[in-house]
Amino acid sequence: MKSTIYTHLRVVLILLLSVTYTWAQETQVNGTIYDETGQPLPGATVLVKGTTTGTTSDLDGKYTISSPPDGVLVFSFIGYTPVEKTVGNQSVLDVNLIPDLADLEEVVVVGYGTAKKSQLTGAISSVGSKEIQELPITDARQALQGRAAGVDVTQPGSKPGAAPQVRIRGRRSFNASNEPLYVIDGIPVVGGINDINPQDITSMEVLKDASATAIYGSRGSNGVVLITTKRGTKGKTVVSFDAYYGINKELGRIDVFNGPEFAEYKRESRRAGEDYPEGPATPEADAAIFEPVELESIALGRSTDYPAGLTRNGSIQSYQVGISGGSDKTTFFVSANYFKDEGVIINQDFTRYTFRANIDHQINDKIKFGTSTLVSYSERNGENFNPIGGALAENPLGVPYDEEGNMIFLPTSDGLRTNPFAEIVPGAQMDLTKNYRIFNSIFAQWDIAPGLSYRLVFGPDFTISRNGRFTGSQTNARRGGDATGSIDEEFRFNYTLENILSYTKTFNEKHNLNITALQSVQQDNLEESQISVLGIPDESQLFHRLGDASQITGANTNLVQWSLLSFMGRVNYDIDNKYLFTATLRADGSSRFGENNRFSYFPSVALGWNIAKENFLANSQSIEQLKLRVSYGSIGNQAIDPYQTQALLGRTTYAYDNTPAFGYRPNTIGNPDLRWETSTTFNVGLDFAILKSRIFGSLEYYITNTSDLLAPQPLPNSIGFGGYITNIGETQNRGVELTLSTLNIEKGDFVWSTDLVFNKNTEEIISLPNGDDISAGRFIGQPLTVFYDLKKIGIWQLDEEDKAKSFGSVPGEIKIEDYNQDGAINSEDRQFLGSAVPDFAMGITNRFSYKGFDFSFFVYGRFGYMIRSQFHTGNNTLAGRYNNLDVNYWTPTNPTNDYPRPNVNQESAKYASSMEYFDGTFIKIRNINFGYNFSPDAAKKIGLTGLRIYSSIQQPFIFANYRSEHKGIDPEVYLDGEDGTGIGGGAVNANVSPAVTSFTFGINAKF
Amino acid sequence: MTIKSIIKHMKYIAIKINRWAKYTSLIVTLLGAVSCSGFLEEDVTSKIGSDYLNTPKGLNDGINAAYSTMRAWYGTERGNNLTTFGTDIYTNGADGSWKFMNTYTNQFDSQNGLVRELWDEFYRGINTCNAVIDRAPSVTGLDETVLLQRVAEAKFIRAHHYFILVQLFGPVDLQLSETILPTKEVTRTPVEAVYAAIIKDLEEAIPDLEAKAKSDNYGRATRPAAEHLLGRVYLTKATSEAGDPSDYAKAEPLLQSVIDNYGFELLPDFADVHAFGNEVNNEVIWATQYTYDPLTNMQANTNENPNFNSGNNSHLFFLMEYDVQPGMQRDTENGRPYKRYKPTDYTLNTVFADRTNDSRYKNTFVDHFLSNKPGTYNTTFDKSKETVTFAQGDTTIWLPGYNIPVAERAKYPYQVLTPELYTERVFPPLKKQKDPGRVDRTQFEGGRDYIAMRLADTYLLLAEAQFRQGKLDLATQNINMVRRRAAFPGNEAAMEIAASDLTFEFITEERARELIGEQTRWLDLKRWGILIERVKAYNPQGAPNIQDFHVLRPIPQNQIDRAEGNASAFPQNPGY
Repeated sequence: MKSTIYTHLRVVLILLLSVTYTWAQETQVNGTIYDETGQPLPGATVLVKGTTTGTTSDLDGKYTISSPPDGVLVFSFIGYTPVEKTVGNQSVLDVNLIPDLADLEEVVVVGYGTAKKSQLTGAISSVGSKEIQELPITDARQALQGRAAGVDVTQPGSKPGAAPQVRIRGRRSFNASNEPLYVIDGIPVVGGINDINPQDITSMEVLKDASATAIYGSRGSNGVVLITTKRGTKGKTVVSFDAYYGINKELGRIDVFNGPEFAEYKRESRRAGEDYPEGPATPEADAAIFEPVELESIALGRSTDYPAGLTRNGSIQSYQVGISGGSDKTTFFVSANYFKDEGVIINQDFTRYTFRANIDHQINDKIKFGTSTLVSYSERNGENFNPIGGALAENPLGVPYDEEGNMIFLPTSDGLRTNPFAEIVPGAQMDLTKNYRIFNSIFAQWDIAPGLSYRLVFGPDFTISRNGRFTGSQTNARRGGDATGSIDEEFRFNYTLENILSYTKTFNEKHNLNITALQSVQQDNLEESQISVLGIPDESQLFHRLGDASQITGANTNLVQWSLLSFMGRVNYDIDNKYLFTATLRADGSSRFGENNRFSYFPSVALGWNIAKENFLANSQSIEQLKLRVSYGSIGNQAIDPYQTQALLGRTTYAYDNTPAFGYRPNTIGNPDLRWETSTTFNVGLDFAILKSRIFGSLEYYITNTSDLLAPQPLPNSIGFGGYITNIGETQNRGVELTLSTLNIEKGDFVWSTDLVFNKNTEEIISLPNGDDISAGRFIGQPLTVFYDLKKIGIWQLDEEDKAKSFGSVPGEIKIEDYNQDGAINSEDRQFLGSAVPDFAMGITNRFSYKGFDFSFFVYGRFGYMIRSQFHTGNNTLAGRYNNLDVNYWTPTNPTNDYPRPNVNQESAKYASSMEYFDGTFIKIRNINFGYNFSPDAAKKIGLTGLRIYSSIQQPFIFANYRSEHKGIDPEVYLDGEDGTGIGGGAVNANVSPAVTSFTFGINAKF
Repeated sequence: MTIKSIIKHMKYIAIKINRWAKYTSLIVTLLGAVSCSGFLEEDVTSKIGSDYLNTPKGLNDGINAAYSTMRAWYGTERGNNLTTFGTDIYTNGADGSWKFMNTYTNQFDSQNGLVRELWDEFYRGINTCNAVIDRAPSVTGLDETVLLQRVAEAKFIRAHHYFILVQLFGPVDLQLSETILPTKEVTRTPVEAVYAAIIKDLEEAIPDLEAKAKSDNYGRATRPAAEHLLGRVYLTKATSEAGDPSDYAKAEPLLQSVIDNYGFELLPDFADVHAFGNEVNNEVIWATQYTYDPLTNMQANTNENPNFNSGNNSHLFFLMEYDVQPGMQRDTENGRPYKRYKPTDYTLNTVFADRTNDSRYKNTFVDHFLSNKPGTYNTTFDKSKETVTFAQGDTTIWLPGYNIPVAERAKYPYQVLTPELYTERVFPPLKKQKDPGRVDRTQFEGGRDYIAMRLADTYLLLAEAQFRQGKLDLATQNINMVRRRAAFPGNEAAMEIAASDLTFEFITEERARELIGEQTRWLDLKRWGILIERVKAYNPQGAPNIQDFHVLRPIPQNQIDRAEGNASAFPQNPGY
């Protein structure tokens, strides 16, 4: 709520006033001051209002003070909202202080340093350990969803161990990566942060505007997420134990046809193909199209629910022991964690073991050093293999087991539809990824002279990752063929070495100056190897003895290296904390670019004005903070893979008779002139705290123009190349972000507060060298990726037969809009359908507390965007062969416009892609949390210093038209698609796992 | 102060900083160079740069790469669909998502993935040939003869690709030099110019290719292969819009040379031509190479379609659904039945009407199955009996090829599949492409060479060239060469025809009898200008929908979308 300076001013003011005060008769008041968790708060200030009489609480939080009976006591502590109490006739006054959420003295981490919140000039969102820890999450990024303005986090489905996709302020670049830079304890990370245990994190800061990110130069154009892990503090050693256990349940069921529905669907598909008489079903007609097992099922009313057989109630659990503490010279934080997420699909789970040791040691009064070390090991099953697809497609009229209970490998005569239960027989399928990570941030700091210090940071990062895949003979993939296996290995070594010099000085008690200079190198070295075989002699060998296989079907290795050399300088200057100025310049050189374009410079400037400190507001009772920030700067993006400036050959295989004849042919057109992509951002922000900080937050507006976009440019294939990477065009992102926290009710022990985060980002292509580019799907004025296809406007109805015929269709088939009105449907009728960029997204957290109880719920929604559901591609073929989503299809007696008539003479419906576009808007209840804090006394009784128990429900509801009307699973999609899976931007993966809701119970105990 | 002026001022400061930085950049880069010399150099260790093609080994590898693009056409679903579907001799079976390529409905449009893949891969091959041809003069250290031969091979492949493309698409983009710089400027070169380029390439290639029946590296293009191809080019050009009266006369000596000069011979038994394990034989002029080693059996992966690494998968498409029938299960010998192509009634009743003298019905179609899953079963299609019981190796299905009264069918202890019982699932399967050499019954990737040019075809092409010139006697002699070989032993004389019997109709049927299932039919019908009428007459699924424009295939939409000027510069073929 207020800075110390402000507090001091007030004390002086009080002093002046008190001179004329007449002393009344005093009474002795004593009591204990507690913090929000009920722990005694030592060092808190107690002041008789309007006097200089004051004291501080002792180590046990106790105080004694004398005050006139009509006196008012003011209790305060840095970081906490002051409380005023009238003495009256009480002699004991206990007080609970609650943290001031808008605490302006709070120190936040910025790139290469820290700053007080009140001194920030850039746009930064913070998420603290409280938010991170109230969710049972696998990946720290999940905690950012709906909690940090301007940060768009998506995670489709529920595959355990899957990483969410994060986009900060939209996408700028056409090229693959719009991924922000993650910096853990000062080290820019390459290769994912999934190994980081969220419970070790104390805060995450998201740097958004150019002023904040420019110090990361070419790395920062997609925003920067700074992750800081917990460190020890001097004092008593605290041992904490945190655990939760929960049940994962499938949220709703995927609705495919049951037996009778499937039978009717199959009949209808034959009616359309004129293989089944119109009108009601007859046993004779059924006999002609159904096989014996199907007829038997129809007669018995029998139906097999295959999807149910592949799902289970999974569990999610985490156990963590942390020890922190320290002496005058050494502080430490050590933790060990076991985390396991067992998915609702039987073969999918993720287990992670992490160990962290963060140690700081002061060698002498000038030199200190420290380390943050993470050792992590994880196992992930079922990343690449999902048996649910086969179950959704399986004919429900078949039976999976014979009378003796033996599995029937082919439940029906359909040779492609093997028993989905065969996939989950132990040993039939194996898809295990093991990941080993050692991540270090080691530093040494030398305080050369007052204000001047030198810091050396070294961050070696080792990752070994191995995926083993085994597919046995009795599976759908092999269908009785020989077993296959493969091993994919990755070995990565990355290091960062940084020299940082910083100087801080205050002149004339008013002029504060801080200068930071940096030199940094980073090098990445990735080695990959892969082997795949066919014909594993004994299936029990899995993928552990591939050399015994009868055939090697693939073998390869690869090496990818890049390096980056950077220099950076930053000046922070402020006058009396009132007028703030920051200027930054970074120079980056990247090995990925040609010699001519290797180095580039990224400058930024920012101004801040603490209006609330101006005289005209200084005495305002209602405005605690009002700060205007403006920043402007440019940052680069080296968003190309290494080696793209070069013309390279691609390998081919051939043979003369049986003599291998491997070849090389032109594969990429080099582009030595590739240069940095540059994003220029203008940001204006307003930070405010009003009404005694009952309402505080910030409002941001920004415009980012990105030019020289690195983009794949499709080329007509007749030149021998399908495209190349080039610098092209310009995009713009502009948007508004609001972070708002309100203290709605604070009455006695009851507190209700709300956090709201809102962002609206408009992503737009501003210019392209040759105007709209249909081949690349880029259109000026539209987002970076859009859906451009034929548009379904209904189903041809019986009374439209002639018109349908003129378009080459018949009633019951999809009616496509004849966009160019030329009387025919062809690619000229493709049109802009929508994009996966939401109009806006928001998250609201409501928190209630009463005495030891607390309750919160978190709602998140994305509004106004389109998705393409590849989940529907395979599961909604309407071909009358495989099972299908239970959609409302057309029949002569059900003239719907929803879905076309099933037809046996098709593998999928004509114009099937037009039925894959859906409104993606959703609202999710992400989390409901209910907890109880035991009072210190109660905790003490069982030998603890603190105890909290809680229970939470994750994602109990998803409200979305895509789910309720179209049988989809989860409309949350990756905006940029998935690498290497063929899943494009905004597309629902065909392989998605069911949405999950989890019920967890947890405990936090301190010793 | 408005926001605009704030931006302006801040921009000014930013530019100032940047300018200052640039002035001092010397220092910075110097520092970088000194402290970390070579730190930012990009060393390509795991990839090969384009200059490699200028070396002797690189040039050889370039040719290898060019050959690999043959695998995009021969022995693939796309090559088979584009030549087998929608003809007079084959229609669609029960399965597959490409039926519209047979039925000619408007689903067959410019988004067709098979057409696009072929286009992309052939043009990659063409660019590879262009690179080899352009760079050969600067390659040193390679024997002159070998160098000339490699260039000739490149021209053979380039001509081959353009020949397929011009037949399928009409005017196509004629690229005759390596693409060095990215460009979107492409045009549709007239058919005449495309043919001129094809002929020029082949004429230049012929003298430098090995004048042998088989290359020392079996599988490389030889002189007879180029002659055979050029002969066929002339025959095809003759009926195209670029046709010239002299084309038939030009074709004749080329084809005659193939027959006379290299020692090829028709195998005595027609059944041996496509016998498994006999892919290298005296009748084969040129075959696309496939192997059973997965490491050398791949196609270049364009990442577009995971099935791209598909080997010779022709074995899949011509088979009937035997594997769910009583007494049967899928095995490697009988194949993995995709049931995509079903012979038309015209094929069964007219083309292969003579089964007394002509061995080709018997040797082309499977006529029985032997039990590999003994037991007693309810009958499926042959309801002349309730159940059937088989021991291992018993006949389970007999396809006599003619109808038999139910009462008589009932006498056989197995199911009898007669023509009246044929459906899209059960019909006479083609033998030619079966591949029992695959490691297991699921393996998709076949390993048999795909015989693209063989001597019987040369005889028939030669006969066609002679027939067109009115040389009926010579034409008849050549046709009779093929027919005598096709006879059941002792029936050779009965197979011979007289010059008076030789009609155009006869040639069209003879080619069907000899070359069915060998990726020629659609192209033959197009060459003869009878595609539309034949489909209307003999392919009941395609008949209602086929239109005049279907003699050309749709240009891939992305070629048009990516061309500078889009459809105005690179127009779609009419009708699509």
